[in-house]
Amino acid sequence: MTAEAGIPDAHPVTGLDDVVHQRVRLGILTITHEARRVEFGYLKAQLELTAGNLSQHLGVLETAGLVEVEKGYAGRRGRTWITLTAAGSAALAAEIGRLKLLIARVETPGD
Amino acid sequence: MTTESVSAGDDPRRLLSDVHALARRVRVDQRVTWVALLVLAAVTFVGIPFDWFGMKLDCAPDGSCAFARRGVLYYWPVALLVAYAAIAFCYRRAARARGVDTRVLPYAVTGAALTALFTAAWIAAALYFPTHPTRFPEWALVFDRLITPWGTIGVALLVLARLERNLALLGFTLVYLAVVLVPVDFGWGEDWGPRTMFLPQQVINGVVLLLGAVGFAIARRRQR
Repeated sequence: MTAEAGIPDAHPVTGLDDVVHQRVRLGILTITHEARRVEFGYLKAQLELTAGNLSQHLGVLETAGLVEVEKGYAGRRGRTWITLTAAGSAALAAEIGRLKLLIARVETPGD
Repeated sequence: MTTESVSAGDDPRRLLSDVHALARRVRVDQRVTWVALLVLAAVTFVGIPFDWFGMKLDCAPDGSCAFARRGVLYYWPVALLVAYAAIAFCYRRAARARGVDTRVLPYAVTGAALTALFTAAWIAAALYFPTHPTRFPEWALVFDRLITPWGTIGVALLVLARLERNLALLGFTLVYLAVVLVPVDFGWGEDWGPRTMFLPQQVINGVVLLLGAVGFAIARRRQR
């Protein structure tokens, strides 16, 4: 989150976090928030991404501390599970709040 | 949300609607509602002979009978605990096979807690009422039905509907609870004697749960 987010009259767009305010990454956060823990393949299918593309986005979120990536096995098959962190949950809530604010600002007549 | 949509601009309305659509899809993938209802229907049907053969009857020569539903007390606490454990296991297994985790544990815990409540209430009633015969008003009987095994099944299903944010399950559960609490038994069993008078209601409860399981299974297949 940027420092402007704390300024009361700042336009909501100034508080948007580039890490979260990106369609795919917002999608990853949304899915992990609902699913608690989600498998790499599920994310890939739901977001219709290539494995490489998804890995890149997960890397950005993991570096920012918003998700945790855990590799394991289910039988012989390797599986990667992604979990939302507390920071990720807060970032998602803040992003959705800002999007709603932004829509409200745009829809307010004479604003 | 697709690869194409990534480059389709950052319209906040569209982003929010994508977020809601994704969340909805994940919730649907976490559900195996039909399994829960099928397990509960099976437990209900299996419980019928326990109630029948476990009923303690004490009939006077004038034809009046005192009865105690011992079979309910012996069968249902264990059956419900096993059922909730089985449902939690099946939910987790099915959701994980789809690649997501599930929030079924609070439902299973609520179910187990309600089972403990029902058991305690029935044991207290079994100890108290034989020496203190009481005639209850109709509203008290509705509350009484709520803490029967069939009533607690409905209350726990309300929790599951909330956890899953599943409006269809909420609607089904309200119908089921109405059937259990009113009760909807079409007057069957009224003059059948103590051993058989509870039979129609249990069959109806089981059939409602079974129909629910079939309905949700069909809906699930169509969603795929």
